[in-house]
Amino acid sequence: MDDDFRDLEAELGRLRPAAPRRELVSRIERDLAPRRAAPRRWLWVAMPAAAALAAAAVLWVRWEAAPAREAPAARPAATPAMKPVAVRDVLVGSRDEGYVVLADGWPARRLREAHLDTIIWKDPRSAASLQWSVPREEIRIVPVNFQ
Amino acid sequence: MEEFSENESWKNWFNRHGPKLLLCARQWTVSMADAEDVVQEAFVRFWRRQRGLAGEPLALLLTSVRRAGLDIARRRMRRAAREAGAMAEEPGPLFERLPEGDDRRAAIESALGRLPPEQREVLALKIWGGLTFAQAADQLGIPPSTAASRYRYALAALRHELTSADCHG
Repeated sequence: MDDDFRDLEAELGRLRPAAPRRELVSRIERDLAPRRAAPRRWLWVAMPAAAALAAAAVLWVRWEAAPAREAPAARPAATPAMKPVAVRDVLVGSRDEGYVVLADGWPARRLREAHLDTIIWKDPRSAASLQWSVPREEIRIVPVNFQ
Repeated sequence: MEEFSENESWKNWFNRHGPKLLLCARQWTVSMADAEDVVQEAFVRFWRRQRGLAGEPLALLLTSVRRAGLDIARRRMRRAAREAGAMAEEPGPLFERLPEGDDRRAAIESALGRLPPEQREVLALKIWGGLTFAQAADQLGIPPSTAASRYRYALAALRHELTSADCHG
């Protein structure tokens, strides 16, 4: 830069920018403070789902492995053509848990039902079958009309 | 430009560079509160996620500050158009008081305030932000030669303003 401006540049350079207010530093401090871990409520949903998936995977692997050990020659080369052939829903039990009041003020009955869902697959070529039963709990809210 | 140490605490780093960031932020915002907001936003983001990135930390932070400043200025302009009677805020001094007297500092601040914004921002980035012309040009999306000429115009205008002020007492 020109010599003309050297003095002015030096003078400007000597000016020190004003320090941020203490309040700004406190705000940054709050933002950068370590955060406490939030309660992991999602685990209560994710863990049963993961357990169900794991159980399904174990069943599948065992089913895949068993015919191979017992009769390797009879097993078709292609992947098994399993098809769902039946789905059953058995109501195992039911319990009336009394009356509840819905958000809109209407009364309703709360019923807790235990079901056993069963799905059956079959391979028409080898007559192999797989049956998978899963317990399921269902809570039903049935609006009540007193008229 | 000063190197950045991984082990340095954010407070030490901010104490050293915060004033420069705030001064540059004030070139792109209309109030001190907005400037503080953009410095806070940019610094927290930088410290949490960007301090491991390659490059000069101050240049990176100035880029963030400028973007945030321009965003907030656009939002403010839209809001100001709706709320025409908004009260003007006292901006506060740009620089610390000089031990030899405050008149000269006040005159320089006043002259800076009358510079065209595109000249003032180059001046702020170069002198107080410590950037080179190439870095300032990169920040502003202009050729380095344009940054250099704006800087020169800014100095010429400042000198003219300050000389006039001296002549008129």
